[in-house]
Amino acid sequence: MRAVWAIACGMIKELIRKKDFYVLLIFMLILLGFLSYQNFFDIGGVSRYVRDLGYSLVMFFSFITAVTFTAKQLPSEIAARTIYPLLAKPLSRQTIIMGKFFGGVLVSGLSFTIFYAIFTGFYMTGGEGKSLVLLAQGYLFGLLFLCLVTALVMFFSNFLTMSANIVLSFLLYISIGGLADSLREIALFSKGIISVLYGAIYYFLPHLEFFDLRTRITHAWDPLPLWVVFSLSGYTVIYCCALLYLSGYMFERKRL
Amino acid sequence: MKTILTAKDLHYTYIPGKEKREVLKGIDISVNSGEIFGFIGPNGAGKTTTIKLLLGILIPKKGELTLFGSPPSAPKTRQAVGYMPEIADYYRYLTPVELLIMYGNIFRIPKRVLKERIEKLLQLVDLPEHANKLMRTFSKGMMQKVSFAQALINDPDLLILDEPTSGLDPVARKKMREVIQDLRSKGKTIFFSSHELSEVELVTDRIGILNKGRLLAVGSARELLGDKEEGQSLESYFLEMIGEKK
Repeated sequence: MRAVWAIACGMIKELIRKKDFYVLLIFMLILLGFLSYQNFFDIGGVSRYVRDLGYSLVMFFSFITAVTFTAKQLPSEIAARTIYPLLAKPLSRQTIIMGKFFGGVLVSGLSFTIFYAIFTGFYMTGGEGKSLVLLAQGYLFGLLFLCLVTALVMFFSNFLTMSANIVLSFLLYISIGGLADSLREIALFSKGIISVLYGAIYYFLPHLEFFDLRTRITHAWDPLPLWVVFSLSGYTVIYCCALLYLSGYMFERKRL
Repeated sequence: MKTILTAKDLHYTYIPGKEKREVLKGIDISVNSGEIFGFIGPNGAGKTTTIKLLLGILIPKKGELTLFGSPPSAPKTRQAVGYMPEIADYYRYLTPVELLIMYGNIFRIPKRVLKERIEKLLQLVDLPEHANKLMRTFSKGMMQKVSFAQALINDPDLLILDEPTSGLDPVARKKMREVIQDLRSKGKTIFFSSHELSEVELVTDRIGILNKGRLLAVGSARELLGDKEEGQSLESYFLEMIGEKK
């Protein structure tokens, strides 16, 4: 665990010392400030629109941080040749993957916490209905989402270049909701092998859209029942474990 | 004298695409405790592959390789090995102290011991005034010094150095030689790969000459040059061995 923490700490220092995070933070503040100004007259519709955009920005910026930080970890270690002194130390390749994963989760989780705190301040001062439980669920789902994204990017980085990894992750983020709906519909309304095939693809895909509480938060709906929260937490843990195991397996066999 | 490193009939083949390339064709090496073993050869001879095998980064296709009587990838073995790569562009957003803390934590070195060791190592490589500066401002030579310090963070019994003097100025080279010899006097074993033949001649106890995946000769500089005419240098002997001198 100390080795995993040692690797992860390096990534947090990188987040703090590089400009990328501050650029996102300033950009986020400007956009939220602008949106708050739109909400000045507290008109219901505008307020919901502003909440919707604010939440989307928080999730998108946290996603950017998770993807860009995690995608470059293994390729830059290999390009800078720092992977060799690391591999010569008494730690397995699986531990290196775990360290990079935890680093990615910590870095994106830290960014998300800051972004979400700003959004919370903005949410609490708005005129619409407020639910702290829903807000807490939004925070938990955001962290789970980042865990899944980080594990996914870590997995991709075993066989994709950094830019291909980022592009594929963005495509998944943008299209997964619509794609999953289409796959489910085809699976439901077709028969035989086609139904099985599309159904299998549907269940196999990482459902990033499950974590999206935008509509619920925007319209101040009731919080989700606990069984949904536990199920989604379980889904994330299982998916992350599977992806990390596969990443470790592939990295173990990678000739360096 | 105890043998620290043993390689018997070591083979390694790269398979990039469909084309096979046999990089090591059955090499035998043994390095004793407290010895400085120099490993020389032209580019593509198989030096780096041998080092990767010694570190357990690659697995030999055939043959036997042990460090301290165990496989190189065993955690117990790695605990006793320090490695300095030929070129490494260490994390530029970290300071040397932070880098050494990170590696020290991987070795599970107690915090107090680690703090003292880092201070000593930074003194040893002449970087105390740069200890808390971000490495993005460092020159190649300074990076090499950091690299040397990180190789010593676990106080290793076996030190594997790949081109350790590359990028260093003459003063730093001399200092590096002195440190290596001092480490030997403390009973450390050093496996040293280099292109700098004069460097190898000055520092090592025995030399292994590798060419095209085969170990052509092993012995001390005196033994290797013993039956040659007076004044012959290691360089001319080396060139003769690899077939570059007629």
